[in-house]
Amino acid sequence: MSHRPARRTSRRRPLVLASALAAAAALTATACAGPSVGSSSAAEDEASEAIDWSQVEPASEITWWSNHPGQSKAVEEELIARFNEEHPEIEVNLVTAGANYDEVAQRFQAASQTDELPDLVIASDVWWFRYHLNDQIMPLDDVFEHLEADADDFQPALYADYEYEGQHWAAPYARSTPLFYYNKDMWAAAGLPDRGPETWAELEEWNASLSEQVPDGGSTFGLSTGPSWGAWWFENMIWGHGGQYSDGFDLTLDSEESIAGGQFLHDLFHSSGVATLSADDAMADFSAGLIASTIGSTGSLKGALDTASFEVGTAYLPDGPAGGGTPTGGTGLAIPSSKTPEQQLAAAMFLEFLTSTESTAYFSENTGYMPVRTSAVESDTMKAIYEATPQFRTAVDQLAEKARPQDDVRVFVPGADALLNDAIEQIVIDGTDPRTAFESITPQIETAYAENVEPYL
Amino acid sequence: MTTVDTPPAPTAPAPPAPAPPPSGRPVPRSRLGRRRRRAALGWFLLLAGPNVALLLVFVYRPLLESFYLSTLQWNLGSPVARPIGLGNYVEWFTAPSTPTVVTTTLVFTLSTVGGAMVLGLGLALLLDRKIAGRGFARTVAFAPYVLSGFAVGILWLFMFDPRYGLVQELLGLVGLPSPQWYTERPWPLVMVIVVYLWKNLGYVALIYLAGLQSVPQDLKDAAALDGASPGRTLWSIVLPLLTPTTFFLLVTMLLSSLQSFDIIKAMTSGGPLGSTTTLMYSIYQESFVNGRAGYASAVATVLFLVLLAVTAVQMRFLQRKVHYA
Repeated sequence: MSHRPARRTSRRRPLVLASALAAAAALTATACAGPSVGSSSAAEDEASEAIDWSQVEPASEITWWSNHPGQSKAVEEELIARFNEEHPEIEVNLVTAGANYDEVAQRFQAASQTDELPDLVIASDVWWFRYHLNDQIMPLDDVFEHLEADADDFQPALYADYEYEGQHWAAPYARSTPLFYYNKDMWAAAGLPDRGPETWAELEEWNASLSEQVPDGGSTFGLSTGPSWGAWWFENMIWGHGGQYSDGFDLTLDSEESIAGGQFLHDLFHSSGVATLSADDAMADFSAGLIASTIGSTGSLKGALDTASFEVGTAYLPDGPAGGGTPTGGTGLAIPSSKTPEQQLAAAMFLEFLTSTESTAYFSENTGYMPVRTSAVESDTMKAIYEATPQFRTAVDQLAEKARPQDDVRVFVPGADALLNDAIEQIVIDGTDPRTAFESITPQIETAYAENVEPYL
Repeated sequence: MTTVDTPPAPTAPAPPAPAPPPSGRPVPRSRLGRRRRRAALGWFLLLAGPNVALLLVFVYRPLLESFYLSTLQWNLGSPVARPIGLGNYVEWFTAPSTPTVVTTTLVFTLSTVGGAMVLGLGLALLLDRKIAGRGFARTVAFAPYVLSGFAVGILWLFMFDPRYGLVQELLGLVGLPSPQWYTERPWPLVMVIVVYLWKNLGYVALIYLAGLQSVPQDLKDAAALDGASPGRTLWSIVLPLLTPTTFFLLVTMLLSSLQSFDIIKAMTSGGPLGSTTTLMYSIYQESFVNGRAGYASAVATVLFLVLLAVTAVQMRFLQRKVHYA
């Protein structure tokens, strides 16, 4: 008995220490480089000094953070090799910085104020503005002018997405629109015309004949939800009913039209029986022949053509009673503001090459993403591709005919995309009344705007 | 000569001692003690110093920094922030999502820790018996613990797939339909708990196994002589002697369960509709998805205090029930 106290302490101490350490680890998860406490104006003044690019020598090595959109790692490596034929003096390190846009962005945020930043970084539709608000990226207009990059040749709708206060903060790279994908074999078996439905109502009419074609557990139409995804395709539905997430930064989720859009989504899953929620990835269910149609990104096109055992059809997103519209999305590339002018120039040279007519056509051919230059759309390379595989053409035509800028709140308010997706999941999964679902996220979006956007405008 | 009361001489030649006091009076004990203490401090700094320095730099400094960040309104990545005192804490305690997150954390923690302890003990008792292939069975049982949580999560995600997965096949064999593991609550949480249990069971079993093997055989023999049944021996002899092991496991499992992240991230990303968002996951969510690093630091501080309290309570109350052989 006498030895008990001694053993007790000897066993306790390491435990206490271990607990303290473990608890501390929980905290260190969030402790990164700290901010300075004050107003934002000083940092902005510093950043706005103009650089005379003609006096700058490009750096010999740059780093590019990518998630290889559309499984494009080999394509990106090939583009780097082609760049090095022209510019052997600049080495480009391609880093897999995440599995998707969000992961790259999170890593980029976490690395801010360290010297571990890349020279070129993926900047998706919902992230670039946050980079800009944080003064993390530089405007490209001057350096593109110096490089004679012919920014006027970018597809106007795509380049304009990155414009804020007269300057462009990124260049379009892997750009997409959502597409309506359909199984041509099932369509034919159901005796339907070889085209997508022009309206959502038409898809509902077709449901009876299509649902006979799908296997057990399948459905006419399937969708998946998730951050950077659900709130993107839903723009088509809310716009189709005359609503929108926001007018400028003013939330309009409580308007009758927006709620009608939410009600349509609700009914699609819970009363008309047209749609089912895909467990994981609707595109995988579509390729496997479980669902007869779905909405997928342009960037999934090549993968779908390669994996599906049936003929894949692509069409515009259907219209609603108040018309239609498609958002554009995908990602651009941005150059961090904290790098030296030498690195920035080298990165800009590479960026110019990546988005050149030749490169964007090559990228498009191998992924399905849209060519970002007007000259590329009209190039012989793309014409030959459109001839052989007309599905590639749908996104480009849809862009010209149906594209509409995304609602500000989704793309400009940090975290709003994830919250909107949350409301969409409430409607789709739980069958929540749309008004209730939208009301549940409104205060959080308002807080995010008041905290993270308004003070910086 | 002198009457200095020297301690047993060290094997190394003694360092040049300070000149003996001219008067020949004995050296005061306190000075010798001081010298010894100084030497001990030197050894301590030499051996523990590097570790302590690492702890200071990578654990305690970020810890304090995180307390500080929790008083700011700071968008992750922004060069500037606004001090708001305890505003983040007030917001967390009044947020409508907080009760859900706390409940999810409780359900997840209690079922993973409780489940792992009970099943792990059972597994250890099984592996402690002299059965054929015991070494192989032990290795198999422990293997999941050394795998990456992320990889485990992704593999199990395939197995749970309600349309093509192995789990669905197995349920089909007994005529049960597969639940919608990914989308229909509470199944996503159940799925995550099952995988966490599977991954950590081997660790609990291994530690219990070590504990079982230190239970003296003569005690068990004596009990058997006195006519105790195997169940009675387990209940009255083995389990009480395992209490130090149980205590150790309870503390470490609680801490690791409260901090688990990788499996949740890989399988559900906290969804659907936040149904698998634990306190730890919400810290990540707020900080890196919503960019609210100050608020996330406040939640992290809350988690820190919870972990500290849990540990303190365990030390205070459970310690008394621990028997050491």
